[in-house]
Amino acid sequence: MSRILNSMRDGVGFDLILVGAAMVFLVALAGLPLVYNVVMSFQQVDMFTLGSLVRPFAGFTNYVAVVQQPEFWLVTKNTLIFVFASMAGQFIIGFALALFFAQNFPGAATIRGLFLVSWVMPGLVVGGIWSFILAGDYGVLNAILKGLGLTQATIFWKSDPNFSLWSVVIANIWLGLAFNMLLLSVGLAAIPRDLYEAAELDGANAFQRFWTITLPMMRPTIGAVLSLGLIGTLQQFDLFPALTEGGPANTSNVAGYWAWQMSFQLYDFAKGATISVMMFVLVLFASVVYVRSTRHEVRG
Amino acid sequence: MTTQIELSNIDKHYGAFHALKNVSLSIAKGSFVALVGPSGCGKSTLLRSIAGLETITSGTLRIAGETMTGVPPRKRDVAMVFQSYALYPHMTVEENLTYSLRLHGVNKAEARQKAAEVAATTGLSALLKRYPRELSGGQRQRVAMGRAIIRNPKAFLFDEPLSNLDAALRVHMRKEIRALHDRLGATSVYVTHDQIEAMTMADHVVVMRDGVIEQQGSPLDLYDRPVSKFVAGFIGSPAMNFVPGTIAPDGRSVALEIADSLSLPLSRTVEPGRSVIVGLRPEHLVVTDAETATLRLPVSVVESTGSMTYVTTNTTPELTVVESRRMNTRAGDNIDVSISPEHVHLFDPATERAV
Repeated sequence: MSRILNSMRDGVGFDLILVGAAMVFLVALAGLPLVYNVVMSFQQVDMFTLGSLVRPFAGFTNYVAVVQQPEFWLVTKNTLIFVFASMAGQFIIGFALALFFAQNFPGAATIRGLFLVSWVMPGLVVGGIWSFILAGDYGVLNAILKGLGLTQATIFWKSDPNFSLWSVVIANIWLGLAFNMLLLSVGLAAIPRDLYEAAELDGANAFQRFWTITLPMMRPTIGAVLSLGLIGTLQQFDLFPALTEGGPANTSNVAGYWAWQMSFQLYDFAKGATISVMMFVLVLFASVVYVRSTRHEVRG
Repeated sequence: MTTQIELSNIDKHYGAFHALKNVSLSIAKGSFVALVGPSGCGKSTLLRSIAGLETITSGTLRIAGETMTGVPPRKRDVAMVFQSYALYPHMTVEENLTYSLRLHGVNKAEARQKAAEVAATTGLSALLKRYPRELSGGQRQRVAMGRAIIRNPKAFLFDEPLSNLDAALRVHMRKEIRALHDRLGATSVYVTHDQIEAMTMADHVVVMRDGVIEQQGSPLDLYDRPVSKFVAGFIGSPAMNFVPGTIAPDGRSVALEIADSLSLPLSRTVEPGRSVIVGLRPEHLVVTDAETATLRLPVSVVESTGSMTYVTTNTTPELTVVESRRMNTRAGDNIDVSISPEHVHLFDPATERAV
């Protein structure tokens, strides 16, 4: 007994307790729900069997049913557009801002810090504010566009099927910008200054320095930013109820919001679980690509 | 001999800080020039100004006859070896070496050919496929050198390149850099805070202090004829002894203020009664017998390295005497030393300039 106590105080036992606590937490709050979700996607679930664990096995019926939903391909297309446009916007503008603030002008650090405000704000609040900005009749964005003479017509961002998805994309880019910029700033700051000086003396102009020094040195950071961006964008939820609720006619609906609608508005838990399993496979694939790409991480 | 790098009246301000004050220097083609001085003296700033990494506030810099004002570093055709080596961590040794060639559009086969040649001269042939993190300090240093050599630039700039190496390797690389310089017939500017490096490697040594050139000349010139107490104390190891003194009424000898009536003869006549600082190099103080000695000094510490004996005297200020013979002197004994008159340096106590 005393040997066990001793080992807990200053031996392997203590390590096991620490690892164990983390494992219990992960299994109970992430692992089990995940497994339960996968199990549910292969079962017949209705309001009467909701409370029980053992339900009739459904095979791939749920998957077939989800794919046969009339809105399936629209939602898939929307999800892809939403993910790629949001990530591209967040990454490119975030990288540009990170490079801008890396120039060390007076006040650079302070202003960069202020950008974090967007990251601190709840998504629902951000969505609410963008809802005002994007409003058709009284929105600021329309006023600016008209004032600049870029458009004559009033654009109904949230209710026009051609723009509804893009209204969420715009808000999401703004929301994720600070996070991208911050991670990329950290990556930029980690590149030693004298590498740039050496490259400059070797004859590299600003563009060549960016291409041959900055980008390759940033590879691990860029990988992390993009994979976190993918996960963050796929799980984006708050902006949809605040802006378009997926409408009109599912033109701004994406997989994550659709899964929620299935489960918690239509109470079709099997389909909701099935959609999230499909998303999970996609994220898993991206994560594997990311982990493999950073395996040969190069840092001096 | 033609001038490769010409600096005239260079000034550099960082805000209120005046880093370089009216510096003029002319560096001959094919010469090896060392910029030496304590940290903060402006030697690195001067080197970085030549490279174009710092912009000079006023004055003109010419490289191979062309004025460099407004010319970016990449168009100056100079190569620099950094203290940190600044190797590109994501490139192999070969890619590091060929980076500048690739930027200048040299084709792959030719670049590889040149990399192989440079690797052969710098002893890197077996390491071309390695990454910098897989190399030792000395090997990284060679890659940094190779990267400079491959371009055949107008000048090589070295910024304390040996300070990250251990003592033995430093001595070895010293010779190697100098041999490489001679083989390539290059023009080199070498920044160091180590006066031994400057003395052993350079043809021409520039001693800097507080942003001004204190003295420049051949290494032995600086050693034999320092223009100021600063240069005298900086060049030579162990450092020169400084003792306050007064010139005798006949102007032919100087009385030292370390003990009663110790006086040294001078090789020339100096204004009688003038107070001076007397500079005596430890290696010029020769231990001799009581008859021929000019000074008798009490001993406080005796250190022997086998080849050399370092004696510290029990005087104020204390003096160091270096003797190449073995001695059986101990602490508490007295030693008799003499110094030939031409080795006695005199400095003005106020201006610290040589008298």
